[in-house]
Amino acid sequence: MEYAFLLDLGRCIGCQACVASCKVGNELGEGQQYIELIEKTNGEFPNLTGGWDNHRCFHCADAACVTVCPTGALFKEDGLTRLERDVCSGCSYCTEACPYDIPVMYEGKSSKCDGCAATVSAGGSPWCVGTCPSAALEYGPREVIQAEAHKRAEAMRDRYPNAHVYGETQAGGLGLLVVMPDDPELLDIPIDPKTPFMADAWQKVVQPAAVGITLGTAVLAGAAAVISRRNHEQEMVVIEAEGLVRDSEKSEEG
Amino acid sequence: MARIKLDISRRSFLKGGLATGGLALMSPTASIDSAVGMLSADDPWYREGDIKTTYNVCDVCPWRCGVVVHTVNGIVRKIDGNPADPKSRGMLCARGQGGVSFMYDPDRLQSPMIRTGERGSGQFKEVTWEEALDYVAAALLQVKDKYGEEALAVFGHTSGDHWFADHFAQAWGTPNAAKPSSSLCLSPRDEAATLTYGSAVGGHEPVDWDSIQAFTLIGSHIGEDARNTLMQDFANAQARGAKVIVVDPRFSSVAAKADYWLPIKPGTDTALMLAWMNVLITESLYDAAYVEEWTEGLEELAAHVAEFTPDWAAGITDLPAAQIRETALVMAENMPAAAVIPGRHVTWYGNDSQRMRSTYLVNALLGTYGREGGMYFNKSVYLDHYPLPPYTVTGSSGGCSAEPGEESAELPLGPTGKARADGVRESFMRGPTAMQELIDPMISGDPYPIRALVAYGVNLLNSIPNPERTIEALKALDFVVAIDVLPQEHIAWADVVLPEATYLERYEDLWTVPHKTPYIAMREPAADPLYDTKPGWWISRELGMRVGLEDFYKWETIEEWIDKRLVSVGSSLDDMRAQGGVIVQKGKPYLEDFDGASPFHTASGKINLYSEELAEAGHDPMPVYEPTDEPPTGYFRLLYGRSPVHTFAKTQNTPVLNDIDPENEIWVNVDAAEQLGVKDGDYVMLENQDGARSGPVQVKATQRIRSDAVFMVHGFGHNSPGLTRANGKGASDTKLQTRYKLDPISGGAGMRVNFVRLDKEGV
Ligand code: SF4
Ligand code: SF4
Ligand code: SF4
Repeated sequence: MEYAFLLDLGRCIGCQACVASCKVGNELGEGQQYIELIEKTNGEFPNLTGGWDNHRCFHCADAACVTVCPTGALFKEDGLTRLERDVCSGCSYCTEACPYDIPVMYEGKSSKCDGCAATVSAGGSPWCVGTCPSAALEYGPREVIQAEAHKRAEAMRDRYPNAHVYGETQAGGLGLLVVMPDDPELLDIPIDPKTPFMADAWQKVVQPAAVGITLGTAVLAGAAAVISRRNHEQEMVVIEAEGLVRDSEKSEEG
Repeated sequence: MARIKLDISRRSFLKGGLATGGLALMSPTASIDSAVGMLSADDPWYREGDIKTTYNVCDVCPWRCGVVVHTVNGIVRKIDGNPADPKSRGMLCARGQGGVSFMYDPDRLQSPMIRTGERGSGQFKEVTWEEALDYVAAALLQVKDKYGEEALAVFGHTSGDHWFADHFAQAWGTPNAAKPSSSLCLSPRDEAATLTYGSAVGGHEPVDWDSIQAFTLIGSHIGEDARNTLMQDFANAQARGAKVIVVDPRFSSVAAKADYWLPIKPGTDTALMLAWMNVLITESLYDAAYVEEWTEGLEELAAHVAEFTPDWAAGITDLPAAQIRETALVMAENMPAAAVIPGRHVTWYGNDSQRMRSTYLVNALLGTYGREGGMYFNKSVYLDHYPLPPYTVTGSSGGCSAEPGEESAELPLGPTGKARADGVRESFMRGPTAMQELIDPMISGDPYPIRALVAYGVNLLNSIPNPERTIEALKALDFVVAIDVLPQEHIAWADVVLPEATYLERYEDLWTVPHKTPYIAMREPAADPLYDTKPGWWISRELGMRVGLEDFYKWETIEEWIDKRLVSVGSSLDDMRAQGGVIVQKGKPYLEDFDGASPFHTASGKINLYSEELAEAGHDPMPVYEPTDEPPTGYFRLLYGRSPVHTFAKTQNTPVLNDIDPENEIWVNVDAAEQLGVKDGDYVMLENQDGARSGPVQVKATQRIRSDAVFMVHGFGHNSPGLTRANGKGASDTKLQTRYKLDPISGGAGMRVNFVRLDKEGV
């Protein structure tokens, strides 16, 4: 069955209970966080609007991080994007590939929300959901969450005429459905998250190369070789030099 | 939506793991036996061994949510809300989640200590409890012999304060026991309430959130002030479509959720409320039937507010007159389900009782008291006290745990005939003992000497304004004992330090909460005390036994005390545990529950719009707007508030909470910052009107604040090397509060009367 989170930004008040519960429940290390609350403000005093960007994994169906992950540490399961940190090799491709800029490297391995896989398998709810005082977070079968999200968006339209559900179309459909009171870009959340060049390059070029498919051009072979070097900085430079970045961006815009 | 809670029985973990096909830890074919065999150090904590669950009451802030604590192999791992608890309802704020980390903070005080160096040097030797307690007892008895019982001051905060600021102090015989939650926080609110409608607001503000239709928050920052229940109630009410009016010079988290944000000029709130009353009365929008039946003094009030029109208030508050009138109309349309919420920490400008009274008068005109969706009447818990001989002196420490209705009509006298030394009846009218007013007597000996201090859980230098004066007092005293969990800054000034076990390591007296559904909550230890620490009740008892107060400590263990009290409700600790850690009783929230009798404990049984009592004491019988001093040129008014991740000056060093929010910032309006040539992210020093300086603090240049004030979160800027994470991080607002303005009614210390300038030098 597909599961999903609900994040209701009409309700979220930025209290960070989710952050703390996640850190304690998941035994995260110093400086490690799966959720970050970022205050956003628009307008000029005193004509202001504002809210909280909950910077946390959106659990994309077409998850760029999974696409580029060479080890299988990142994988899809039950509609969510799991991460087995033990398996992660530390290549950090996912940190570049994610259109939402979510995974970070922590102690040499990728670090991001895995939907509390272990806790849920033990019969619990994800730690953030269990504690959110505002009931801005819920978790359950995707259909139930989707219905609830629409109900909530509908109910808040008197106050927020642009309220809608975000995440039904983005990146193939998100496992974190957001009840969005207004334009997501006001919170710096992209309306149309771009599959960035890395994922694109990997999918079209490097992955085939890695599984041994014969490559026609020097450009592609070069990209594959670069990536295998696992030197992130250099990769970027080389891939950019080869023109992959611009091409992939163009193809998305078109 | 229903939430799944972690089912904490081990068997169901395994079952759950297998049922979902294994996931990460178990292959689908694994048997339970082999699954157990697979457990390793990398397993999540809840698979490392049997989970022991205990009931507790969170002590990270004074709100006291009921929690369940999960302990595995003797180590406390996770705290969650107790679903049966009327405050937490199964959820917790960030601070409550950080409780485990508070307990395992390696910086904790670990052993009793006696000072070896100068006071303030922080030099101590570790001693046994026996030695430390004997030493304290001898010192206290010496002060008593020389100066009388009243020469001992007892300051208490946090959930064990009862054992010191109430029980010990009253048994010993000093009227000089004080809690910061009174005069540094709630006194104006509760004295004004008692003068107006006959009872204090009460620790759990009786707002009938479930059916509220419109509400007004004045300088109250739900979401930054992370009291768990309030965040829940607010989110539900707002989502239901209740109209939200927020009055705040700052675009706070809750202002960003408001339907009406009134960015008021600081210090002018009373003018706004007078104008609201003007609109409600002159436009005949108030609840006439309610006002007729339940209030006294409408005629006087109508005459009083006649001139305070929205236009008049606009010039004072810096708010458009139309917005003032419009918000009054919103309240009137929704009355009586339209409460003006009594906030917390109301000691702002020294006229705070009058400001609070004006909020109650608006509520009275809207008919909110005792009405659905307004302000309900909270009811005290039915539970016997532990049987004790009469105390030597009646208590007057107040505090947010005080039961509503406890007053101090007659000043209690100590055994040598002395009343409180805080100047009550002279410099202020009434209310609980004012902590900040006991500092001068420690230095001057006037009206009589206070020579010793027991400080339990109070950060003396980060809560009482004018910390330099407090240090002078600490130098002057004959004897200081500090009982605490962490090496807070004032610890260095103590003669003896007694390390306390945290709330997760001890039993505690029952928690009794006056509420819509009054309830009793229990605390039991989740693990043994770490290091050589002891529970507060034990320390209080050991001291009592050593200073001749055996009659007040005729119980061996706290369990015995608790069980005795529970007999009166036909329960026991075991029974409470079996029932889920909470006993909920019935309340009488609404007017109709009183069958025509008055629920207002005033002389007339009515709400005093006009207060004879105030008039007789020489105060304005109805609130008057008094301007507060303006910031000098180049200075901003210093406002302060909360981070949702921290409590007072208590949690900045707590590893998990420190990790999330390690230092405070100074909020400065973007335009003002630009004029000063400082940028977002720059570090600056703050200097106040008296030359007091903070440490370096980061600038947050933001649209979210007026340009005449700056704002910072309280509690940072610690100056104690023992707090290895928090020491020197951010700036201390208390350090910049060299002045305060005494509220002549309640004795509250108004602290928003300080001004600072930003200084780029010396960073
Ligand atoms: S706990 Fe809930 S309200 Fe608080 S920050 Fe997280 S999502 Fe927002
Ligand atoms: S948000 Fe980023 S990390 Fe999360 S699933 Fe999508 S691509 Fe992966
Ligand atoms: S509001 Fe938070 S810190 Fe305060 S008692 Fe509740 S959980 Fe604890």
